Amino acid sequence: MLDLLPEPLKAWLGPDVTFWLGYFTNGKHIAFFVSVHYTVLAALLGAACALVFGLMGAALWTSRNPWLRWPGAVYVNMVRGVPDVLFFLFFPLAFEQAMEWMRASAVCTPEAAAERAGQWPPCPDANIFFSTYEYLALACVSLGIVYGAFAANVIAGAMRSVPRGQLEAARAFGLSARQVLWRVHLPQMWIYALPGLSNVWMLIIKATSLLSLLQIADIVQLANRLGAPNFSRSAGLVHGDWRWGYYLVLLVFYIGLTFVSERVFAALTRRASRGMAIEGAAR
Amino acid sequence: MRSRLKGTIQPTSRETRHAVASYPSARKAQQDHDNFDTNSPGLWAKPLAKPVCARFLHCMNKRATVVEITDLHKSYAQLEVLKGINLSAAVGEVVTLIGSSGSGKSTLLRCINMLEVPERGSVRIAGEEIRLVGNAHGRRPADEGQIRRIRSELGMVFQQFNLWSHLSILDNVMEAPLVVQKRNRAEVREEAMAMLGKVGIADKADRYPSQLSGGQQQRAAIARALCINPKVMLFDEPTSALDPELEQEVVQVIQLLAEEGRTMVLVTHDMNLARTISSKVVFLHKGLIEEDGTSDEVFGATKSARLRQFLAAAGH
Ligand SMILES: Nc1ncnc2c1ncn2[C@@H]1O[C@H](COP(=O)(O)OP(=O)(O)OP(=O)(O)O)[C@@H](O)[C@H]1O
Ligand SMILES: [Mg+2]
Repeated sequence: MLDLLPEPLKAWLGPDVTFWLGYFTNGKHIAFFVSVHYTVLAALLGAACALVFGLMGAALWTSRNPWLRWPGAVYVNMVRGVPDVLFFLFFPLAFEQAMEWMRASAVCTPEAAAERAGQWPPCPDANIFFSTYEYLALACVSLGIVYGAFAANVIAGAMRSVPRGQLEAARAFGLSARQVLWRVHLPQMWIYALPGLSNVWMLIIKATSLLSLLQIADIVQLANRLGAPNFSRSAGLVHGDWRWGYYLVLLVFYIGLTFVSERVFAALTRRASRGMAIEGAAR
Repeated sequence: MRSRLKGTIQPTSRETRHAVASYPSARKAQQDHDNFDTNSPGLWAKPLAKPVCARFLHCMNKRATVVEITDLHKSYAQLEVLKGINLSAAVGEVVTLIGSSGSGKSTLLRCINMLEVPERGSVRIAGEEIRLVGNAHGRRPADEGQIRRIRSELGMVFQQFNLWSHLSILDNVMEAPLVVQKRNRAEVREEAMAMLGKVGIADKADRYPSQLSGGQQQRAAIARALCINPKVMLFDEPTSALDPELEQEVVQVIQLLAEEGRTMVLVTHDMNLARTISSKVVFLHKGLIEEDGTSDEVFGATKSARLRQFLAAAGH
């Protein structure tokens, strides 16, 4: 990177600045900066999944049909109790092995399977290697499942907070059950759900620090690596333990993300509370 | 008596007059209102009477029955709220339900549009019976489509207004005509403004319900019910949630609708209103009709001791 700068500019900047410029633009640091997109993608897509799972979970849970209500209740109550780390490890692995099992039944010959008895996968052809982005997708789905249970709880509560009289009025005017849901119930639900959903979003942001568990070199892992005492064969000790510095940068990054999120949620709340006579909500 | 009610709804301010004047349909409604001739047949009774009568033989004598309730029973768990009600309302009639709290007035009204499904008995709207299936333990509408169609012909006004708070007043009024009746947007908009003009809040069309006073909200709710061109208007204590001054502005609108010859079923605790606008007064007591008759019969020559007691308690 440093080679791209013209010589006179380098001379003007002086050796110290050039050194630090070079240091912060070396390959590892570029990878560090680029890895931010894993975190942001995981948070956004994870939140989108969580919202979808949340809406579906809430729909099941509040359904009148017991065959739908039961799975909804189990989902909301059980999954909320499972540590996210555990689920993060469990779900992608289970998914991978299930895929391998399906593939094995299609591609493995009996001879090949007999040769590798007791091993996984049953034959080499059935082995599946996921790319980083495929792992990222799995991570987003995992986040979606775990935090979807929280979102479902929030949304179900918000659905119950919508004044019953307004739903009844909609029915009295001949709106179908689906129209009542989409035209009155859901639009009014958001204002009650947003505070809870903003909590869930913050939890999702925090949970993105688990990405390294899935072999994704995310900002947390790279900060750890870059900050660790650094030796090189030619130059000896480049620097000592600088991890605190890198962690501080992460800290500031997450605080910045929180700040931006707060702004976005404030705007969403203003939008959702138009006309709603709710304490503290902007009109 | 009736002529005294003429022209009761005046625009409340210069602002309102301006807003009314800027909408042709609202202005028309205001003029209709101002020039209203109490001797002419109801504006709304006329177009309604025809299709109803074309279909049904019993229309031959005088006026068609719009609402007909036969042997209606309704219970909540152990509590039997309605114990066999027979009631009918003809085109242009104002049927008022009175009775003490808990006597089942709201329940009866809500059975008309099947917000509550009765265990026994039938409801006919303009001669068409609402089909129900199931046994006495759980009946439900046989045909959701029929229910929705019939509901879209019944304009309901609630005690708590129940305007949709995420929609502006105009959108509230336009919702059912657009979504349920699937009418043309421009035409519905025109009519919605006319209805808002009629109830005197055309200038509030772009506000949200929470920005209106209780009386204005209830008038908006009435406009919402009017805009579906209902065969019957159903009112459930429309003035009970209002302060006495706000009550009057809503009462005036209801009187105007009665003048127009609209068919209405009205639950109210306001005995003055019941006395002045009713074609028929029905006194409910413990789930049964204790006494009914014309306003003069019920208020002037009360037969039932219970009704006399009730009226005395109501300050009559
Ligand atoms: N959803 C319900 N579940 C159980 N009981 C109910 C329900 N709705 C009404 N009731 C009961 O039915 C009875 C009649 O109620 P209803 O609302 O029809 O009375 P009302 O005549 O309208 O009284 P009010 O003048 O107070 O409005 C009351 O005893 C009430 O407690
Ligand atoms: Mg009632």
